[in-house]
Amino acid sequence: MSESQRSSIDDIIDVYKRDVDVSLIVENLRRSIDERLETLMRLQAFVEELRRAGPAAEG
Amino acid sequence: MTDFKALLRILSDAGVEFIVVGGVAAAVHGSARATFDLDVVYRRTPENLERLVLALIPYHPYLRGAPPGLPFRWDATTIRRGLNFTLKTDVGDLDLLGEITGGGGYEALAPSTTLIRAFDIECRLLNLDRLIEVKRAVGRPKDFEVVAELEIVREQRRQRPTQS
Repeated sequence: MSESQRSSIDDIIDVYKRDVDVSLIVENLRRSIDERLETLMRLQAFVEELRRAGPAAEG
Repeated sequence: MTDFKALLRILSDAGVEFIVVGGVAAAVHGSARATFDLDVVYRRTPENLERLVLALIPYHPYLRGAPPGLPFRWDATTIRRGLNFTLKTDVGDLDLLGEITGGGGYEALAPSTTLIRAFDIECRLLNLDRLIEVKRAVGRPKDFEVVAELEIVREQRRQRPTQS
């Protein structure tokens, strides 16, 4: 994309790109589709466990 | 927890015509972001609405976040008179989308899809370029975060063409 075609949205997206962990993407791309979805479900279970644990820890 | 495998199997076995979009599509393309529901764009033909209704009845679809006891009926009339439904089912959260911002409905998106096999289930997936376009079109800051990651996924895939 040339500079004249860029919008402020592209600049915003570039700012967000600084926070992307590329190593996680590289690792994911090495996985098969099934493995990517299984990883996603494990991540989902982990986040839900954290959500349950938060209020429990506060008593 | 949403069982993506079960939901894909239920829709596929019933012959429902649908396109996987959203966070699960992003994950299949290589995104590492968490997502908690399955988003699909469904074809709004009368036959497909019937297949969709029959497929989900055993899993008790209900409007997600709505108070219990509302007179919600899961039938073809409800789907026909509505468009997008955010549902809770016995196997997890499912967003049924008649149309998506910047992408339109099933027929408009179908040319920008690829057939994939996930868990031995064949399904249509919105391709990466189109997924980035529709996420840009939505225009919320959280969507721009997703676009940032997906553009990096695209760059990485171009550098590693053997990995899809």
